[in-house]
Order: sequence, then structure tokens, then C-alpha cells
Amino acid sequence: VDYPLLNLILLNCLLALSQFIVLRAGVFSVATAGLTACGAYTAALLVVKLSVPAPVAIICGVLAGAGFGLLLAVPLARVRGVVTAIATLAFVVIVQAACLNATPITGGAAGLNGIPKLLNTPTLVILVGLVVYLIFNLNRSGLGRAFETIRQDETVAVSFGIPVARLHALAFGLSGAVAGLGGGLMAFHNYSLVPEEFGFGMLVNLLAAVVIGGGSSVWGPLVGATFLTALPEVARPLAENRAIITGVLLMASIVYLPLGLVDTIFLAMRRGRAAKLNQSEAAKRRLPAKEQA
Amino acid sequence: MLLAQQIFNGLVVGSVYALFALGFTLVFGVLHVLNLGHGAIFMSGAFVGLYCMVGLGLGFPAALALGALSAAMLSVVLDYFAFRPLRKRKAPEFSAIISSMGAGLVITSIAQRLSDTQVWRYPFDSFPIVVYELFGLRVMLLQVVIMLSVALILAALWVLMFRTAVGRQIRAVAISERTASLLGCNPAFVHFVVFAVSGALAGIAGILIGLAFNSVHFLMGEPYMLRAFVVIVLGGLGSVAGAVIAGLLLGVVQTLTVAYISSAWADAIVFSLLFVTLLVRPSGFFGTLRIERRVARL
Repeated sequence: VDYPLLNLILLNCLLALSQFIVLRAGVFSVATAGLTACGAYTAALLVVKLSVPAPVAIICGVLAGAGFGLLLAVPLARVRGVVTAIATLAFVVIVQAACLNATPITGGAAGLNGIPKLLNTPTLVILVGLVVYLIFNLNRSGLGRAFETIRQDETVAVSFGIPVARLHALAFGLSGAVAGLGGGLMAFHNYSLVPEEFGFGMLVNLLAAVVIGGGSSVWGPLVGATFLTALPEVARPLAENRAIITGVLLMASIVYLPLGLVDTIFLAMRRGRAAKLNQSEAAKRRLPAKEQA
Repeated sequence: MLLAQQIFNGLVVGSVYALFALGFTLVFGVLHVLNLGHGAIFMSGAFVGLYCMVGLGLGFPAALALGALSAAMLSVVLDYFAFRPLRKRKAPEFSAIISSMGAGLVITSIAQRLSDTQVWRYPFDSFPIVVYELFGLRVMLLQVVIMLSVALILAALWVLMFRTAVGRQIRAVAISERTASLLGCNPAFVHFVVFAVSGALAGIAGILIGLAFNSVHFLMGEPYMLRAFVVIVLGGLGSVAGAVIAGLLLGVVQTLTVAYISSAWADAIVFSLLFVTLLVRPSGFFGTLRIERRVARL
């Protein structure tokens, strides 16, 4: 049983989750594409050149992603907002240039070929499910609340004694680990790795997934990534205009649906429930009055 | 002598980087948003310039003017659709980056359609190839024209910013939009001017780069935008003088890297410069110290 489209959706979900983790913690990092490349090349090289068993290689990929994420957090501890975005973009370019130019190791522009295809849909479903479960719980734990506080107001977070710099580093590490896993899985799904894959295009798509889906609940990036991956496949004529559609959707969703699809729906549902509750309470209050009359 | 020649070539390229980064830093300085559609506007200017010179047979100055004008218009349109709704809502800076990224994507895709994904080139003799010998340096006419155009534009920009009423308004809005509007500045007008000027700078940079490398294609904006990031971080976000100095510096560093180390690693080295800057002096080397909200040091 193997469904290529579903595999693609699941892989993109994983990468979108990695992007989600950092944004959730109030770090405007776009490093995910670069961290994915680190994980993907680590896992693939271990299998191809050193014939390490694949599960071990994927774990090494995860560790590589997390390691680079933590490393990246060191220089970026001193900057915020726009500068973080610029610096992580530079990181993506550096990683891409390294993959492109270290031809003896990575195969350069021709790509790293001959990677065995070991991945099938059930394994992928289980792994992605596991990651979603972990992030879902993390989001609701004390750590998730600390991240939320930092995102909303860093000064308040500091005054509550939340170690902002350490949590930012943790967010980079976690995001790197998920990206590394996604990269490792990508390597064993695609047969080959090409540096071009891990560039500006991937970065925009991942950001789009989180923005269109919504950035505060776990379901946002999942819905966004599924939507963006499935749309050109389901409606063939759209595939040619993929970039235009992504662009227009990005602009439209940030202007008209700033919370994203999922979070807007959740908010509407919560408001609906609150309204219903208010109504029933008002009815209860009105009821005795009517009985008296 | 070879070294001097390389440094000169680097300065020529760097002056165009500076021009490109100036528009970028101007928008950031006034509106405090990063315009990721700037690269696409640069590309559109390059296409219009080439079309004017080759397709319509206009001269270089006319092509430069028309390219700048169209890029300025496109930039204003981009502002209207991508930034204005967000300004009204007072959305965080993150939103502006996302929506300009989307706008850039749309412009690039349209250009891809219109150009059939082809690389457009100038015919061989569209710009006279004249080589001067100056203090032992080989100086091409095109290089002279590029340097002169950039110098003229910089001078004009300086006059606009520091010697006219409009410039005073722009600087006032950059400091505080609210206070400026209380004192009678129209922020909407200032935003219009800033985007038009920034677009015109990008368009001119696009034409000059298209001529210098004789290659115009729909993805040409991306590498320049990435380099502009390095320039504005090195020069300090929002600093005009910083953008010029850092742009020239980047051009020289890049040319020297290509000449003496390896062209393949030039990108990696240039972008590592950015990380070094962030480690050593996050507010940039030439800008004034901006007070960032940085509270946590643990």
C-alpha cells in the first residue's frame, strides 16, 4: 500500500510543523528549509556512503537538524523580528550553496542519487501521527503556554521569569529535529536529493502552509500543507499556475484571514458556543419572570 | 594592478547593489516593513528597459526613464494591495513580510508567463563597447555609465531627502507617523512617494544589471534581494548611508572572492559575512544604534 500523493502531503505536513514550532514561540525564523537539507543529506549520506541501517540514519538526521538548529540559536539570540528572518534566510542560502558546491560529498547540482526507497505510507502515517501527538501535547503543556507568552509579549514573559533565550534555543532545536526527521524521510522517499529543492521555494511554501492554515493550533499547518500540496494535484489546470495561486492565497489570507483557516473556524465555533451559552442563561433568567406573570 | 582592476570592477557592481538596497532600506526606514517584493520590481524594471531599447528602439536614457517609471508604478500598486490593508489594521511586521512575499511571487509568475521562461538578451551592439585606459585600469564605457548614473541618482536622492519639503515629510513620518500627521503631513502621500522612489531605484538597478551582465530573466531578482539583505544588515537597517557603503563593500568582497578564492563559494562567504555582523554588531556597522526591544539576557 503506497499512495504517492498522501506521502507528499504527510512529508509537507511534517516540514510545516517544523516551521510552526518556531513561529509559535515568537521566533520569526525561516530556517526550516536549511535544517531539512541538513537532516536529509546527513541521513542519505550515512546510508549511501557508509551503509548505515536506515533507522539509525534517520535518527542521525534528526540529531543533525536539532544540532544545527541549536547552533543557529546562538548568534540569533541577540536579534528579533525582521533581522531573525533575514539571518535565517541567509542560513538557508549558505546550506544550499554548501550542498551545491561540495560536489565530492553531496553530488552537487546533479544531486545525490541511489538512495534506497524504504518508506511506505503506513510508516509515514505512524511517524507523522507521533510528531503531531507530541507537538499537540507540548502546545497544551506549561512549555506551550510559555511559548505563547513569549510570542505575545516578550517583556511580560521576562517579568514572569520565563527564560526567553533558553526557550528560543529550545524552539530552534525542536524545529530542527522535526525538520531533520522530515528531511531524512524525504531522502528515503524520493530516491535522490537535489540542492534546489531546499531553497526559497520550499521556504515560501512552508510559510504559506502555516499562514493559510493558521499558526496557533497544531491543525493549522496540517490543513495548510494538505491544502497547498493537494490543490495542484486535484485540479490539474491549477498546477501550471501554482506560484501565482500560492502568492494570491498568501496575500489574501494575511489580509482577510490573518488568523488562518483553522484558527478562524475555531474562533467562530468558540464564539458560537459562547453565544449559545449566553442565550440559554438569559432564557433561564427570563423563565422565572414569565412564571410569575 | 590586477588587484586594483578587481577592486574597481567590484565597486561598479557594488554601486548597483547599493542602488538596489537603498530602495529596500528606504521602505524599511519609513514604514518599518521588509518589502520582499522588491526583487520582483527590480526584475520588472530590467524587462521594461530591455523591451524599450530592443523592442521599441529607444535610446538608453529614455529606456532608463521608462523602466524607472514602470517599476515605480508597480511598486505603488504593490503597496496598495500588499501593505495598505495591513497598515490600516496595524498588523505585525510578520504579516507585511508574508504579503509582500506573496506579491513578489505573483509578479515573478506573471513575468515568467510573459517571457516564456526565456532569458532575454540585448543584441551585441546595443551598447557601444569602448574601453578606456585610466591609470592603468581597463575601464569600459558601460562601467562609467553605471557609476555615473548611480552617482547622479544618489545625489538626486540626497537632494530629495534633505533639501525638499517632501523629504522633510518623509523623514518626519519615518520618526513617528502619528506625530507627523498631527503636524500636517499626509502619511498616505509619504507612503506613495517612498514606494515610488524605492521602485524607481529598483527599476534602474534592474536595467543597469541587465545591461552589465546582458541577461534578463524572471528569476533575476532573487539573488539581488538576498544580497540586499546582507547589505542592509551590514549597513544597519534603515540607514541610507550605511546601505551605500555596505553595498560598495559587498561588491568588492564578492568580486575579490570570485577572483581569488572560488566563484562557487562566493555566496556562502558573502552570507557568512551577515552572520559575523550579527554576532559582532547586530545593529550594523554604519547605522546608528537602534534601540531594539531586547529584554532577555540569560
